[in-house]
Amino acid sequence: MTDTCHSSGAVTTTLPSGGVVALVGNSNVGKTTLFNALSGARQQIGNWPGTTVEVARADWRPAGAPRALTLLDLPGTASLSPVSPDEQLTRDLVLDSAPGQRPDVVVAVLDASNLARCLYLLAELREAPQRIVVVLTMTDVASARGMDIDPDALARATGASVVVVLDPRRRDSVSGVGAAVAAALENPLPAPRPRPFAVDADPLAVDDDRFAWIQAALDSSTHQHPSGSTWSDRIDRVATAPVLGPLLFLALMWAVFVVTTTVAAPLQDALDSLVAGPVSAAAAALLGAVGLSGTAVEGFVVDGLVAGVGMLLTFVPLMALMFLLLSLLESSGYMARAAVVTDRAMRAIGLPGRAFLPLIVGFGCNVPAISATRVLPDARQRLLTALLVPFTACSARLTVFVLVGATFFGSNAGHVVFGMYVLSILLVVGVGFLLRATLWRTMGTDPLVIDLPAYHLPLPRQVAFVTWGRVRAFLRTAGGIIVATVAVVWALSNVPAPGAAGSLGDVPVEDSVFAATAEAVAPVFAPAGFGDWHATSALMVGFVAKEAVISSWAQTYSAQEPADPGDPGDLGDAVRADFVASSGGHPTAAVLAFLVFLLAYTPCVATLAALRREVGTRWMLASIAISGTTAWLLAVAVFQVGRLLG
Amino acid sequence: MPYSGLVTLNQVPVGSAARLADTSAHPGRGRLAALGLRPGAEVAVLRRTSGGGRLLGVGPSRFAVDRATLDALVVEPPA
Repeated sequence: MTDTCHSSGAVTTTLPSGGVVALVGNSNVGKTTLFNALSGARQQIGNWPGTTVEVARADWRPAGAPRALTLLDLPGTASLSPVSPDEQLTRDLVLDSAPGQRPDVVVAVLDASNLARCLYLLAELREAPQRIVVVLTMTDVASARGMDIDPDALARATGASVVVVLDPRRRDSVSGVGAAVAAALENPLPAPRPRPFAVDADPLAVDDDRFAWIQAALDSSTHQHPSGSTWSDRIDRVATAPVLGPLLFLALMWAVFVVTTTVAAPLQDALDSLVAGPVSAAAAALLGAVGLSGTAVEGFVVDGLVAGVGMLLTFVPLMALMFLLLSLLESSGYMARAAVVTDRAMRAIGLPGRAFLPLIVGFGCNVPAISATRVLPDARQRLLTALLVPFTACSARLTVFVLVGATFFGSNAGHVVFGMYVLSILLVVGVGFLLRATLWRTMGTDPLVIDLPAYHLPLPRQVAFVTWGRVRAFLRTAGGIIVATVAVVWALSNVPAPGAAGSLGDVPVEDSVFAATAEAVAPVFAPAGFGDWHATSALMVGFVAKEAVISSWAQTYSAQEPADPGDPGDLGDAVRADFVASSGGHPTAAVLAFLVFLLAYTPCVATLAALRREVGTRWMLASIAISGTTAWLLAVAVFQVGRLLG
Repeated sequence: MPYSGLVTLNQVPVGSAARLADTSAHPGRGRLAALGLRPGAEVAVLRRTSGGGRLLGVGPSRFAVDRATLDALVVEPPA
């Protein structure tokens, strides 16, 4: 981001110096399409400083403009009444900031096929002195549905500088926006729309006045005549239909799940072997060449830093695919239909319909699932869903379930693993209810009323821009956390504990600071029956990545990692002996408690990084607390009840 | 007209039109108004949706609403 972005915790409403043009509009009106058409590849996507609100910005010099401008793509918002961080930010920037701090030109992007609704935002914008250029999109849909719009009459009725009709596929139409902005910059600030009431008037009276203004604008600039159905209407005959709609939805969700699991997996494996093989070897050779071979520096660089970067990289194909699919589902207009189809079923368990997508994806991997929560338009619902995603049993946890299940339950392992999946679903529903009963009591009570934007074919260039921008932002925000944590765990396991034998980088794992830490933490798990440092160290590593649990667990016993998790071998024997000891002779209850803990606590550091990016550091910490508390309470309950039952 | 007088929107047959008379029983009244679903607006009931709701047309706009919304909106035959 540019020099105007501060990393202090506070929201900053300071705009970049020089001219600023802000794109404002409802969701799904073609605002981002216009932004991409205007800015090309020169854009940066990132959270606005001090917020989790995503804003894209670009340097832009329209033909005829005296200087380069900063173009901002503000988040889609239905109104400027601040009910979500998105709306708050838009309001702060275009309405509430000091007159000199506001954008030089506000480009209001309005969907012509939803004009009555979009004009509400324009009514609010016109209540401050503002140079406004109106851009009308989807006039073809409006026209097919029988509405003709006179752009000049609309400009006169709304007091906008000019109304441009946009077809983003045509370059001259896009450059018309640039010319309109350049011309508007020359105009003095227009006076705000006169209003017959005081600032603190009754909100109903304020709204009535806005609606009257909207109606007058519609009456003088539009004409509605009878029409047939559009192809968008014909798709909706299937997409929202009572039986076919849910079937189509399930088919699409299945496709998303398959792509984010099976398609991404070989790419992840390839990157993993590349980093573990040639890249690590090259790093080792390089360090050898400068005489650092076999030193702690080599260990730190190869097994700490390179391994950490490798782990980060393996998430890139997965995240890219997820962002690509999200972008396709959102920009095509299908997401609104999915909300209609899932509304009743999800409402039964107290969640909004759109939460279905992130939760499904979570069973593959939690990291892209957290990012998928952006399909939820309401910030509180987004946060609630993001806090629930870590309870979905991702595929990395499956490996541990299978190994532990096979060790202790033999041929019944399948039932135990299945039970974990059932418990995972129950946790999502149960913790969801608890959070709503405590934190958000007013959530989800409104009946469903959703506007369905006309379908459109996503533009490949736009989808590519958005996907790349989000992957880059993920790497930037998640990279630090992931690499740092992997490096810290390496360091801890290679520093000898005070008083122990061994030297830096050459210490048996049971004598390291890591083991000493696990030993100190272990008593916390005594009430759950697994207060043993081996099990605790496995959980500590599991906090970083569940994939690493088995290998590091094996390391603490100096045993080999079993090639087949279904046949645990020596590691199984060693683990069994420890569970018998730590549980006071109730190993089955202790193992079940261990599995439950493993299911419910923080999935991995990459999930935390994704959480921090989507909901901020405070809620990321809250997630650790919620997951950890739930996991511990459940594990203790399982062990204590299991012990009583024998 | 397949119905007469004031009825709730769920009593309006699919394929018919209605004029909104009263939206005050709906908890999201303000949002409905912002979407253009205000008293006086003409609404076409286009088809049933999954979950017992309806797809509505208001001018060129399309909305999906659930059963609870249909029950809360009072309408009359269009002029």
